[in-house]
Amino acid sequence: MTKEELITKLTVIVKPYIQNEEAFKSLNENTDFINDLEINSANLVDIILDVEDEFNIEIDNDSMEKMLSVKATVEIIQIKMNA
Amino acid sequence: MVGNDLVDLQFAKSESNWQRKGFLEKQFTIKEQQLIFNASNSFNVVWRLWTMKEAAYKIFTQQHKKRFFAPHKFECSFISEAEGIVFFEKNKFYTTTFFNSFYCYTIAQKTNDKLAVFSSVGLPETIDCEIKQQLQELTGVLMEEMSQRKSSVGAPLYYQKEKLLTNSCSISHHGNYGAFAFTLQNES
Repeated sequence: MTKEELITKLTVIVKPYIQNEEAFKSLNENTDFINDLEINSANLVDIILDVEDEFNIEIDNDSMEKMLSVKATVEIIQIKMNA
Repeated sequence: MVGNDLVDLQFAKSESNWQRKGFLEKQFTIKEQQLIFNASNSFNVVWRLWTMKEAAYKIFTQQHKKRFFAPHKFECSFISEAEGIVFFEKNKFYTTTFFNSFYCYTIAQKTNDKLAVFSSVGLPETIDCEIKQQLQELTGVLMEEMSQRKSSVGAPLYYQKEKLLTNSCSISHHGNYGAFAFTLQNES
């Protein structure tokens, strides 16, 4: 899966949790889940669980620690899918 | 240093499913999961623990200018109905949690801090104004002269021109509620 395809899938996953529509419309690699999309931190766990389900991967605690942005999340998905 | 976190309980009921598979394991330690399962009201314990972790994390990020998502590393224990301690690496944070049927609200402080904390729960859209009003009462600085800036990690700071008014400040909103907690710059 290409990076663009991963971002498209991730966009669908984060959509139910976003609080900032404007930032969501211009979602890109550098988008931050909390500072830009204003996703509630309580919902970050939901995103991580949704990512696990969608890509059939397991995200360990060390990887989860970094998952605050689209870029970091895409990188982790790529690593886990190639593992 | 002060940190706070609020959860709108009705909102949490509709927006977060704590019984979802993996939800508890991702954010709570085994010990905390036991507290949740053994409680008569597991839902309340989930959100008490969660706000404790978040409030403690908000102190740590203000201090160390680092952001991450590692809820399982913030280990909570309860001292009483309202008070608790959060351990993170070598840090110890002291928490007080307020519960009513609408929200769960936690304020955290570093244990060695003796600074007075000013805090209130209100509406998300008026939080900024409420902070300025309270700062005006405390410092005599006119609220029209105040501005909010964000630190590199997104923590709010209140200024009068170039003069920093808050020593530490934390804002939290969830659902229908917003809350602030701050300490004053000149009291240290």
